[in-house]
Amino acid sequence: MKKKKKKRKVKTNRLHVYTPFGKSVIKDSLAYKGSFYLFVICKVLSVFITYYLWRAIFSSSDNSELGGFNQVEILTYVFMSFVCSNMVYISMTTKIGENVVDGSIAINLIKPISYKSKLFAESIGEMIYKFIVPSVFVWIGLEVYKYVILDEFSLSGIRIALFLLSSMLSFIIYFLFEFCFGMIAFYSTYVWGMEIIKNSVLSFLTGQIIPLTFFPDFAQKLFNYLPFSSMNYVPVMIYLGKISSSELIFSIERQILWILILELISIALWRRVVKRISILGG
Amino acid sequence: MIKVEGVSKEFVNAKKYPGLKGAVKGLFSNEKERKLAVNDISFEIADGEMVGYIGGNGAGKSTTIKMMTGIIVPTSGIIEVDGIVPYKNRMQNAQNIGVVFGQRTQLWWNLPLGETFTILKEIYKVNDKDFKKRMKFLNEVLDLGKFMNNTVRTLSLGQRMRADLAASLLHNPKTLYLDEPTIGLDLVVKDKIRNAIKEINAKYHSKVILTTHDLTDIEEICHRILIIDKGTIIYDGTLENIKDKYGKTRMISVDLHDISVVKKINFNKIFNVSKKDFNYQIDGKTVTFIINKDKVSVSAVLSNLMGKTDVKDIRIKETDIGDIVKQIYIAGI
Amino acid sequence: MRYYFKIYRLFFKQYLKSLMQSKLDFFIGLFGCLFVQASGILFLYLVFEQIPLLDGWSIKELAFIYGFSQIPKGIDHLFADYIWLLSSQMVTNGEFDRYLLRPIPPFFQLLCDRVQLDAVGELLVGGLLVYISVSNGTIRVTFIGSILFVMAILAGAVIYTSVKLFFAALAFWMTNSFPVLQLGYEISNFTKYPTSIYPKGIQFVSAFIVPFAFASFYPAEYFVRNESFITTIIAEVCVALIAWVIAFSVFKKGVSVYKSAGS
Repeated sequence: MKKKKKKRKVKTNRLHVYTPFGKSVIKDSLAYKGSFYLFVICKVLSVFITYYLWRAIFSSSDNSELGGFNQVEILTYVFMSFVCSNMVYISMTTKIGENVVDGSIAINLIKPISYKSKLFAESIGEMIYKFIVPSVFVWIGLEVYKYVILDEFSLSGIRIALFLLSSMLSFIIYFLFEFCFGMIAFYSTYVWGMEIIKNSVLSFLTGQIIPLTFFPDFAQKLFNYLPFSSMNYVPVMIYLGKISSSELIFSIERQILWILILELISIALWRRVVKRISILGG
Repeated sequence: MIKVEGVSKEFVNAKKYPGLKGAVKGLFSNEKERKLAVNDISFEIADGEMVGYIGGNGAGKSTTIKMMTGIIVPTSGIIEVDGIVPYKNRMQNAQNIGVVFGQRTQLWWNLPLGETFTILKEIYKVNDKDFKKRMKFLNEVLDLGKFMNNTVRTLSLGQRMRADLAASLLHNPKTLYLDEPTIGLDLVVKDKIRNAIKEINAKYHSKVILTTHDLTDIEEICHRILIIDKGTIIYDGTLENIKDKYGKTRMISVDLHDISVVKKINFNKIFNVSKKDFNYQIDGKTVTFIINKDKVSVSAVLSNLMGKTDVKDIRIKETDIGDIVKQIYIAGI
Repeated sequence: MRYYFKIYRLFFKQYLKSLMQSKLDFFIGLFGCLFVQASGILFLYLVFEQIPLLDGWSIKELAFIYGFSQIPKGIDHLFADYIWLLSSQMVTNGEFDRYLLRPIPPFFQLLCDRVQLDAVGELLVGGLLVYISVSNGTIRVTFIGSILFVMAILAGAVIYTSVKLFFAALAFWMTNSFPVLQLGYEISNFTKYPTSIYPKGIQFVSAFIVPFAFASFYPAEYFVRNESFITTIIAEVCVALIAWVIAFSVFKKGVSVYKSAGS
């Protein structure tokens, strides 16, 4: 009993070590308020533009449904995709690249904190900040619009909870994926090039640009074996109620499985990289 | 000739509040924070003069240099460098000046050093004959040959600083601004850089304005110094003058066989002086006396000691400019 | 003018040389740009699986508009990529100092500081799509048309550079204008489609506030549909000039309020 208590205390202490990293990210983001306001406005604008593109696509079609989506659903899809991806996609490749170049990763190795946990803490900070601005407002705006203008309301508490749960899992999957991807920075100095390749591939495979149901059947089958659909597509489809309750558990299980797999990969990669740092000195 | 007349520079920044709550608060407030970095300074620098510009961190040194080079615009006052207002006619002014910032290179990071000079030759319209002549000279005084083919990015700090200095001199500028040109360098390279600056001044008669934290730079290079503190110039004059004024302090270090005797002697009572004019510190077997030579003579101190114990070694040190500046920073002029 | 050409040539030669030393980086960047382009085309392809025409435009026509819009973008990317660094770090860390210490215009130095060969990706895809459009008859080649085509591309590149310069110059006030520039630039991703699909407000923004529509869709419309020469090509050139004047004035004003980092 006593032992258990002690263990718990150590754990809370350790958490305490990492919270400042998360907080400082939020603080930094708030520090430049001029760019901050514009950033939010422009970002939301770009979602609207995507939506209008979809509206034009629908009005050019004789069918009221495309790829299994009607117009209200695609509206929800586009905006909830933004709500989810905005807070979940926190890119770290550039940051890791900078840390490699300025040598702070090597310095971090001699500190009593884990580099990965530090990054995770920073990501959580960024996620919270991005959830507040503007994800949650876009979300509320969307539902208000649907209720007032379109007279549609199909939300339930359980679905919101499931969406948030699934989004959190997406966040972890994305974090681990980014961490693994960021390890490239140890092998190439040209992180920017890798970053745009990654982003353009990701934006497709996670269903951000276009719902995955628009892809041909063989591609959709392939996506089941990749972690990307678990990053954005799954939570949004859960929110839309397009995943039946029997599939639902399976989808969440698959997200957890991907977390485990990516965690193992990231541990293995990190070990290799640490070895490399200690040989080459960063 | 450089004329600086009643120049002030005020920076206006959005006010920042501490903590996470503060950051949120800052988002909605529009409060401004004003900081007067340079406050109504005036001075003149004649052709061929080498002037040391010193002051603590944040005293306004770099701000002054940046206004004189045309990087930033003064809030009020007038600056003229050889008849040109630097922040109004930047490009014309740039043709006549050379600038080295110790903290940051002015060179192109990804170019080989040799190519850097080829490009600078075109930019400053240096003709082939002058180019050859000057490169030969710069090579002699700064010893660039070994790393001429290396990319700037790969140079060591000392090499980079020599390269920066050479690059700033290629067009034979009438004015040379050196902002901490010896920061972080080892003694050999420091010496090389100092000698190069002196040689260039002697050969081309160019003005040199030097800011530094290393006061040996000042002692070796400059005849005249300006001291700035909290944005105001608190001293403008020769190095000798300030040494006379503040240089009355002597430091006598004595190695003793039995250090305990020092504590037994009440020097302040014997010489009838306060702690301000007579003080000492003990470090192992060495005692260091810090005395005002007008109040207490060096020989009196020593003769008092010699009767009591064996004296192994004696060293007497004049106060250097560093000690003086320290005194001024602390006590004011 | 010859003076500037000579200096630029010296820089350009160096970038080509350094490219030879880091071929891997070049290919990563090139593929990066090709991937971005490919995803845009894939999107069109997937959408046209569902519909025959988008707002009256066929996929062949859209492919031309898309390809055409990539060429000015690529030219700007090739020569004026360093503007991005002005927005993100040059003001924050005081790197801009060195531009003010040389007897050549700061904007020219900005161009000299990087030749971004990744842009070859955009130019390749753009060129290829235009070539396909010519060979499948979507576009007819005439002598005057070719001259106008070159003109439209150059004016388009000026629009791209101006928009970037304008947003980047805001960094002189905001210290970091990168997010704003990024999202302003984002609009260019939407003007590669017919702007008539967007509501009036967005059409207005993409034409007159961040005038990327004039660098892509409007001139492309002239070549595909023989729209009036005045409302497309001439209008584009005018917009390019105005955009440049505004952007450059803001940049100059910004330089004068530049604070320089440190004390």
